[in-house]
Amino acid sequence: MQTDRRRLNAPPGGTTPPVFAAPPDTKLHRPTRTRKPDEHRKLFLRTGIVPSASGSAYYEIPPQEPQPTALLVPQRSSLKITCTVHGPRPLPRNAAFSPNLLLSAHVKFAPFATQNRRGYVRDASERDLGAHLETALRGVVIGERFPKSGCEVVLTILEGEEDGWGAGGAEIKGGGWGIMTVLAGCITAASAALVDAGIDCVDLISGGVAAVKDAGKHGGQENAVVVLDPAPSEHDGEITAACVVGYLQSRDEVTEMWMKGDAGAQVQTLIDEAVKAASLVRAVLAEAVKDGVQAKIDEAEDDAAMTGSAKEGKGKSKEVVMTG
Amino acid sequence: MANGTAKLAGLVFSRETFAKLTPGPFLQAHLQQPEPIRPNGRSLDAFRTPTIHTGSLSHSNGSAVVRLGDTAVVCGVRAEILLASDIPHPPSEDTSEDDLVERLGLLVPNALSYRVLSLMHTSNLIKPGDLRIQYTEPATEDDLPDDGPKIVTKAFWALYIDVLCIALDGNPFDAAWAAVIAALKSTRLPRAWWDPDREMILCSPLANETHGLRLDDIPVASTFAVFSTGSALKQRSEAESWVLADPDGFEEDVCSETVTAVVRSDGGGVESITRLEKSGGDAIDKAAMGRCVHMAQQRWREWQGVLHGG
Repeated sequence: MQTDRRRLNAPPGGTTPPVFAAPPDTKLHRPTRTRKPDEHRKLFLRTGIVPSASGSAYYEIPPQEPQPTALLVPQRSSLKITCTVHGPRPLPRNAAFSPNLLLSAHVKFAPFATQNRRGYVRDASERDLGAHLETALRGVVIGERFPKSGCEVVLTILEGEEDGWGAGGAEIKGGGWGIMTVLAGCITAASAALVDAGIDCVDLISGGVAAVKDAGKHGGQENAVVVLDPAPSEHDGEITAACVVGYLQSRDEVTEMWMKGDAGAQVQTLIDEAVKAASLVRAVLAEAVKDGVQAKIDEAEDDAAMTGSAKEGKGKSKEVVMTG
Repeated sequence: MANGTAKLAGLVFSRETFAKLTPGPFLQAHLQQPEPIRPNGRSLDAFRTPTIHTGSLSHSNGSAVVRLGDTAVVCGVRAEILLASDIPHPPSEDTSEDDLVERLGLLVPNALSYRVLSLMHTSNLIKPGDLRIQYTEPATEDDLPDDGPKIVTKAFWALYIDVLCIALDGNPFDAAWAAVIAALKSTRLPRAWWDPDREMILCSPLANETHGLRLDDIPVASTFAVFSTGSALKQRSEAESWVLADPDGFEEDVCSETVTAVVRSDGGGVESITRLEKSGGDAIDKAAMGRCVHMAQQRWREWQGVLHGG
């Protein structure tokens, strides 16, 4: 392996992740889906968590049930995403003229985000996520209002959804379904952060996922069920196709769609269900954005009250009169 | 907005504008008051109150989120296995225990890497005994019967310590160091054994078979910024300087001089200095340095409460 000269490297000789061997009598509890097919997991969204950025948001899907503490390996996956928006800010002097806002999206998994340790340099799947996110956001931002400026959307995934259920040393055999939920989360978080940064958008964009679940060996293709917001650990090896959409509810538009797998005749239903998931998420998003704006108003009022009272008193705030 | 229609009644600037235009004089105006108060409302020797939350990352062996005001840092500790047979130049038998961790490179921090790593090595934070995976070889016929079982180290745990700054408002080092310490304190390593049949290390997934790391006395880092009015055009004796504990982002930009004192307990409640770093700026007088160390000792007590309570 090539050594990275910018940071400290693994000890020479290389390390391997631990291999777990469960004693035969331990019972591994595989998570099952307890919610209805059209029910979304609870999620948490909050804006304005990074004061130094122009806009920021934190998105989390907490584990639905408490994790049994007897085992060291996590059995339920959860999703934690932070998003910061820097801009709009002027482009560098040597950049070519641009009549629109130049939007760029970077997605990075933290090294501790997944069961296998991630590298520090963005890999292909992260760049791919970034490209998908960029197309999703380009459709909402009103770029003409910010000529000659750029805006960076940076997402860090602190904890990513797994592709399957990997407890007890079992090899995860999923086909990359976890990344779909991550993308949906990224879209929602980025939308909240863009609004927090005060960048004009035509609408709020929310991400939604749906998946076709195989009915098993005896069920045919027509018996396949479409589920909203699939947690790959709950549907280990059952998902045959999944779809992510970035959906603008009030305009009824889709700016980004990514479908994977073989949905067969269910394609239309799959997309409809993904849109439904996105509309469910939108309710949370709108609430979070409203709370964020309210917090900003309150803060501004507090500041105004404080400067008003401090004017008479000595100290903290000083008004300076510049003459000449 | 109003082109030329606004009244030009002298230029009155708000606090924010003053701070943005001339940050240096703005800070100086605050500090020159009879009772100096920093622009963020703290007194000179007031640190921000830390909060620690551990164990929030499910894929790490140990993790912590530390908040110091608006600075928030996440640290995740991940343990992986380094096979002793894979080490290219194994250290000789007489390498001292204390040097082993450094010699093998078993700790791999990221973000502020070299400062964190060298501090971890000089303070001998991690005992190599905690990182060894040992195996008792079965007795063979060649062995003398009196020898007893032969214990060999088959592998080591390597700890990847990844620090991620979620929000930054000054003083990243104190927060990162505290996050590293808190994460290491919460780290649980699984029970691992050498499986002679499969010739590999296996681990037990059971949480009640894990062991933690023994960190007996915890070094605490405290950073100070020094704001000085001195310049090349003035006599040194005319310059005034102030020591600001735990600087925030604004103060860090204005002050060119920082002091970091790392203090640890010396057994019977006496705090001793592990490391003293001063960088940038001109010169700091002895009395101010003494005050820094004194404040760092105060801070050590405060951190102990937070770290042990959390």
